[in-house]
Amino acid sequence: MFNRRSLSIMKRELREKVLSRGFLLMTLLIPLIFVGLIFFQMYLLNYDSNSTASLKIISESDQITNSVRNEFNKLPIVETKSYVITYSTMTKSDFQSQLPGFQKDLLNDKLTGLIYIPLTADSNKLVDYYSKNPNNNSLFNKIKSPINKALINIHFAGKDISDKEISYASENVDFNGYRVSTGKNIKAEGEGNQILSFVFSFLLYLSLILSGTMIMRSVIQEKNNKIVEVLLSSVNSKELMTGKIIGAGLTSIAQMTIWLIPLMLVISTSWFVLPQDLIMDITLFQVFYVLLNFFIGLITFLGLFATVGSIFDNDQDAQSSIWPLMMLLIIPFYIAISMQNNPEGMIGIVASMFPFASIIVMPARMALVDIPGWQFFTAVIVNIATMLLIFPLAGKIYRVGILMSGKKPSWAEVLRWFRYKY
Amino acid sequence: MYALEVRNLTKTFGSIKAVDNVSFSIPEGAVFGLIGRNGAGKTTTIRMMMNIYLPDSGEVFLQGSKIGQEFKDMVGYLPEERGLYKKMKVLETLLFFAELKGKKGRAVEKKANEYLERFQLADRKNAKVEDLSKGNQQKVQFITTILHDPEFIILDEPFSGLDPINTNILKEIILELKKQGKVIIFSTHLMDFAEKMCDHITMIDKGKLILNGPLAEIKSKYSQRNVSINYKGNISFLDSNPIIEKIEDYGNSTGIKVKEPEHVQQLLKLLVDNNINVTKFNANEISLQEIFVELAGDGLENNSGMEVKYV
Repeated sequence: MFNRRSLSIMKRELREKVLSRGFLLMTLLIPLIFVGLIFFQMYLLNYDSNSTASLKIISESDQITNSVRNEFNKLPIVETKSYVITYSTMTKSDFQSQLPGFQKDLLNDKLTGLIYIPLTADSNKLVDYYSKNPNNNSLFNKIKSPINKALINIHFAGKDISDKEISYASENVDFNGYRVSTGKNIKAEGEGNQILSFVFSFLLYLSLILSGTMIMRSVIQEKNNKIVEVLLSSVNSKELMTGKIIGAGLTSIAQMTIWLIPLMLVISTSWFVLPQDLIMDITLFQVFYVLLNFFIGLITFLGLFATVGSIFDNDQDAQSSIWPLMMLLIIPFYIAISMQNNPEGMIGIVASMFPFASIIVMPARMALVDIPGWQFFTAVIVNIATMLLIFPLAGKIYRVGILMSGKKPSWAEVLRWFRYKY
Repeated sequence: MYALEVRNLTKTFGSIKAVDNVSFSIPEGAVFGLIGRNGAGKTTTIRMMMNIYLPDSGEVFLQGSKIGQEFKDMVGYLPEERGLYKKMKVLETLLFFAELKGKKGRAVEKKANEYLERFQLADRKNAKVEDLSKGNQQKVQFITTILHDPEFIILDEPFSGLDPINTNILKEIILELKKQGKVIIFSTHLMDFAEKMCDHITMIDKGKLILNGPLAEIKSKYSQRNVSINYKGNISFLDSNPIIEKIEDYGNSTGIKVKEPEHVQQLLKLLVDNNINVTKFNANEISLQEIFVELAGDGLENNSGMEVKYV
């Protein structure tokens, strides 16, 4: 199947792709865009924490009012005046009767929110919040703790409990994550591996979509420009398809390797020192595994994209019919991203060995948990089996498709091609 | 032995029989014309000869043995629908297509440059194909067809889109190739072109072979019953004569077709006996066009069961 002629085709594909400006740009830009995105997200988070609010806190007793004011005044956001808070005390019935008076301020954003702390909060910790946006979690996260502390202080006041113990009681629980795995010491886990899991999902997904679309376009172009008949007078369709797919596959694997080089250097050298929080627990073997599994899956995907390209003779028709193939990429991508919460869930485990899905999901999962050897192995075997199963069918459609022109064929017609003797 | 033999090729697409039991042979050194109107099945036949399509049945033999991949290396094929990689440079394109045929290295590059020189494209060898004019792209395509020095050259409507000067260069090269003993196969719907260039003809219509053989033999056979006359007088008495098959008035001259070749002399006698003043009597003239119309003309529409004629 792969011979002198496929080699010539492959070399041409490589020359055209790897030496193109687009390839260089993509290869360099993607990591930059990626870093840019991370900074953008950090900026957004930061921006959010700097947001301002003006709050009115009304309590049912002066004791609560004072205690709450005390706690809020300790907060940096209050000190910097990004949160402006006014306090007052009134009974429940007074508050109810004055509530309509606040409506205008709340609606025209003079007031972000109105908090009412009744006496009963001392026993049930229930506080009322009135606002245009009563589900403002980012605001709740900031004001929860001081109100909680204020209530605790009141609750335990005069109960012969030391400040130290009250302070202990008012602290929330914090988790220190440790990665437990076979054959290694138990290590503290930072955010590094979660980022890595995301990086893997994103890069693999992106690369598959880019190279898939590219080979599809290239097949359509050959069909459209009528080069295909000239080519077929020298090579057969299998040699052509093989050469094109291997050429595109090597291009993508080269690109992926370039993208992963920084990671490999981080793992294998001490040139870079990452902050404790970002240390990544991954081995070189795993990186090579990602590349191998990616290559096998990539070849299958390229085969499918090339086949879709061969069916149509213009980009628009192809684009509108490619969605089933896109689903095979998008669904695994979402699984990989959402799996971060629980990488040992059933969906995560199955998807990491499932045909097509494993290419993206396995690396993403691998970054999060230790994968048993048999699962690594199964994913590769399943991918190879899928490839062997798909290629004879894809090759058949390709062979018929590349010489078809004219009106857009229906799927039923494409199925009929299987019966053609070509 | 024949250079190439096509035996009983048949190809069906869905319910359409594109090629129906077609057989013909191409002698060594022939300039062979595969003719027929558009959609007759020429391209499908060529694609089967090139192993691009698998025939439903039938086989193609190269010097007595069944063709395989090695045949593709021996062929230069210029399809009717041409195509090149638009972003590739001219010389790069030429070398790529030669490489596909297994030819690479200095010698090929030298030859490529020679051909470029000859077609006045030498200064464009590093230009991108898309920057060339249509005619120049055609020339590049033609060079890709012959650069690897093929034994068989299949040209599908090779002159379409070329100006007279380049048509001449192309003809020159084709004649050179013929002198070198290459087999040249033309596929065309232009009859007078085929008549000028080809020494062997195969005519296909609606997927069926309707004529096959050396051009000279075909012409002499069909001309035997055709007479072209110029005259003064009234020849309407011929209408009812049993030796006459058809009379067609072309204005300047009149074409008369008799039923058997030996009727030609009787016709002349009849005209003289009836005091017709015959100024010209030509008993050996028929164009390929006329043969084609006769075989594949309207008559065929009504009589699709018409027998295949071999010469």
